[in-house]
Amino acid sequence: MAVSAAARVIEEPSLRRAVTPWGSFSWGYSDVGADIFVGLGLVLGAAAGASNVAFLFAGLVYVCIGLAYTELAAAYPVAGGGQYFVFRGLGDIFGFIAGWAVLLDFTIDIVLFAWSCIDYLSKLVPILSFTAHPWVHFCVVLAVIVGLAVLNIIGVRESSAFNELVSGLDVVSETLILFFGFLFAFQPQLLVHTMQTAWPTPFNLMNGVSLAIISFVGLESISQAAQETQRPASVIPRTSISLILTILIFALAYSNLALGMQPWHPLPLDAHGHQQPLWHYLGNEDNNGAAVAVLASYVPYYGALAALYVPVLGAILLLISSNSGVFGSSRIAYAMSGTQLLPSAFQRVHPKYRTPAVSICVFCGVAVVELIFAALPSLSPHVHAIYGRLFRGEDGITFLGDLYAFGAAASYSFVFIALISLRLNDSQSPRRFKMPFNVPFTYKGNRVEFPIVAVIGFAGIVSILVFTMITHEIGRIAGPSWIILGLLGYLLYRRRKRLPVFRSQPHDWRKAQINILQSAGELEMMDEYLVNVRLMDERRQPRSFGPP
Amino acid sequence: MKRLVRSETYARTRLINSGLFVLLGIVVVVRTVGVVGFVWQALPGCVLGAAMVALGAVRVRDYVAGRARR
Repeated sequence: MAVSAAARVIEEPSLRRAVTPWGSFSWGYSDVGADIFVGLGLVLGAAAGASNVAFLFAGLVYVCIGLAYTELAAAYPVAGGGQYFVFRGLGDIFGFIAGWAVLLDFTIDIVLFAWSCIDYLSKLVPILSFTAHPWVHFCVVLAVIVGLAVLNIIGVRESSAFNELVSGLDVVSETLILFFGFLFAFQPQLLVHTMQTAWPTPFNLMNGVSLAIISFVGLESISQAAQETQRPASVIPRTSISLILTILIFALAYSNLALGMQPWHPLPLDAHGHQQPLWHYLGNEDNNGAAVAVLASYVPYYGALAALYVPVLGAILLLISSNSGVFGSSRIAYAMSGTQLLPSAFQRVHPKYRTPAVSICVFCGVAVVELIFAALPSLSPHVHAIYGRLFRGEDGITFLGDLYAFGAAASYSFVFIALISLRLNDSQSPRRFKMPFNVPFTYKGNRVEFPIVAVIGFAGIVSILVFTMITHEIGRIAGPSWIILGLLGYLLYRRRKRLPVFRSQPHDWRKAQINILQSAGELEMMDEYLVNVRLMDERRQPRSFGPP
Repeated sequence: MKRLVRSETYARTRLINSGLFVLLGIVVVVRTVGVVGFVWQALPGCVLGAAMVALGAVRVRDYVAGRARR
């Protein structure tokens, strides 16, 4: 019997379902929670007095994305994330594009977080500072990426307990920083004054919004956790909603605090010998890579202690996030290879360690190329001049932020369309969680619900994609180039394998869904699914009047 | 860690924490509007407060659902 590619992937030895609700939350938190450590400084540098508005806009879009991921991860608890949802909802070629965009994000994730991890450590070890010692910084980031690749090939991953501990410590730490900051140093009048006097140009505001979305990237971890959580349909919505709200609160609170906080001790003077506001100091090139640690050190009373440990805690969280990039890219490439969206080489495992070594090496190699491209202007004055002419002198971390925002916005756009498509075409799959505000109607004889929030979220994320294309010189070229190159490779591969190029291969989604729900332990949902499928088949079959 | 997370003490601590979130959210909204007034600059603060209230409410709902299951 011919078994579809998707069903084959699911029938392979699966991951153990041992992640608890807290484990599921901390898994997502260690991935998405690290983003504010990178995003805060970048957004303050770009959007200045409108940074909180930039975070608000991106945050509301993120809430829509989070709700979409929660619904889809609870209905289809498999580890492919956005790539799997798009593959299932829109077919092979769109599944490839979404997966390819996610792969871009994962490779950027590896570099950006390794880079930022060293930026945070440089607040304790000044020789690691990017601006003062760019070669040292470059070599250490390179060593981190190579080290993570080796660890992933050997098969060493940080334990779930370690993730839970770091996430727990970080939630407590960030809450304490915000508590002391808001209680003793926050001045609402100063916030309003900053918003009025340092309001950016529309171009810079768009730039800020497109960078703010990087503070909310990493929702793939929700579906990764869904694959390894027992009874995911009931656990994932609970933990995801808490995660989404926690991340939103931290992003809005930090941006408001940065704009409206009176520093506990005087700030250094700027290059012209003038006094500078806190938000300006946090957003400059020296501090934008480690803005949370610098902000924490200026918080009254608690700042002295925070200055000692926040750089280390931030660095650990960022290292975990960088590692999730290595892990995630190799696993998504492995899964895409299994469904014949990528060549079978990406499925090749190491003979001794049984890990997808080829995928790990390829995507860590891409990450190293991105690192070189990002660091080059600081390493060579000649290249700096070329970047200045071509790309308006974007610095390394901003270049990485550009591509990160592009990849995220591109893949999330497809996820919204896939959600709408799956609502219409797979109404039989039970959904324990649905995005709010739905319009019921009949489609192809089935009662379905059209998600209004998905349309709002789609409009929001597409506008962020447009902002990214308008405001980022490098992202505008490199992002679409990545997609076009990938598509060309996909077309050649599918033609060589004599597979449909623009159409999809036949997939037995019913069998796949039964396997998914069975392996998730969601037997009630599986029964419900079988009943729904039977009812739908009965409705579609012509009525016979013969004997039963 | 797992034992702690499953204990009744942890659940009650979370409930108190949730109440604090709701309270703090309301304070953030009231203080923002009180100081800044009903102007657009108050929007980020109001959304922050609303998110805090929502997080607290979600946790209270989880606690109630957990008690019903037990």
